[in-house]
Amino acid sequence: MDSREQPSRRPSMPHSTEQLRARALARDRREAMRRRTRRIRRSVASLAAVLFSTAFLVIYVQLASGHDPALVANAKRAAASTASSESSSGSTSSSGEESSSGASAVTTSQS
Amino acid sequence: MITTQANILATAVGPHLFWITSRAAGIAALLLSSLSICIGLLMGGALLKGRRSELRVTHEALSLATLTALALHGLSLLGDGYLHPSLGDIAIPFLSGYKTLWTSMGIVAFWMLAVLGLSYYVRTRIGVARWRTLHRFTALAWILGLAHSLGEGTDAGQTWFLAMIAIVAVPAIALLLARLSSWRERPATPQALPAQPQHTSRKLSAPAIRQPDWSDHGLA
Repeated sequence: MDSREQPSRRPSMPHSTEQLRARALARDRREAMRRRTRRIRRSVASLAAVLFSTAFLVIYVQLASGHDPALVANAKRAAASTASSESSSGSTSSSGEESSSGASAVTTSQS
Repeated sequence: MITTQANILATAVGPHLFWITSRAAGIAALLLSSLSICIGLLMGGALLKGRRSELRVTHEALSLATLTALALHGLSLLGDGYLHPSLGDIAIPFLSGYKTLWTSMGIVAFWMLAVLGLSYYVRTRIGVARWRTLHRFTALAWILGLAHSLGEGTDAGQTWFLAMIAIVAVPAIALLLARLSSWRERPATPQALPAQPQHTSRKLSAPAIRQPDWSDHGLA
């Protein structure tokens, strides 16, 4: 890395002050660009970490408070199936007089 | 009191840790990729002329961060106790039985982004002009990823998710449409160019290679 930063030295050709100044300026600019690059990379890495952490936290709180969309949908589905099975078992355990109406109720809820 | 609440939270979330990680990484990847697409389109267009090197570095860093987030998104699913996917399920399209179309769309988008993005480092072997043409398909991969998140994402129906995606995706889509319209307006063949003076006809008769101006990525 240092070898690239160092200007090539040619002992046979002495550098004028202007040349040396130009090289120093180029070196400074390269160094400034490297600093900017490092700063940008660090900023993007921080941004990625912040985005991930925020999303994680939002989902975590949503889930822990019982508002997670997937789990709520599952719970609703489970409750619906429990309700239908309960109504089904209720209709089969009822007296013979009500059996015809119970069967029709189950058919309706399943469809 | 606080400890008890924390314990309750930990117990409630513990079994879903990998799932939450995957969802969070997916959201982060979508936001980062949208930003990267915006910057890539701005670089190629005439909207931002100065600060090209900074934009290129930002675009590159955002792309690498996107790929890292996507890798985390897929790999963390391997630990999920509900889906139990195999490595093939998360890496090979049309293998998973869970929402096969949307999942496959996400997998294809990931591989496209990985190949088209990382090919930047071997662009001299591929050929810079060919690489630039290929790099345009990154936008397609991003659209596939967006569709995957809206079609399969657990949070896709949530207002906060839709608002967050709209903030980054709408500008990217607008820039993409602007770019597509500029491509359409530009003459694609030498025949479409206006008539030239007689003395330049010899130069124009040479086969014209249309150079895309998608982005110079600091390569020109």
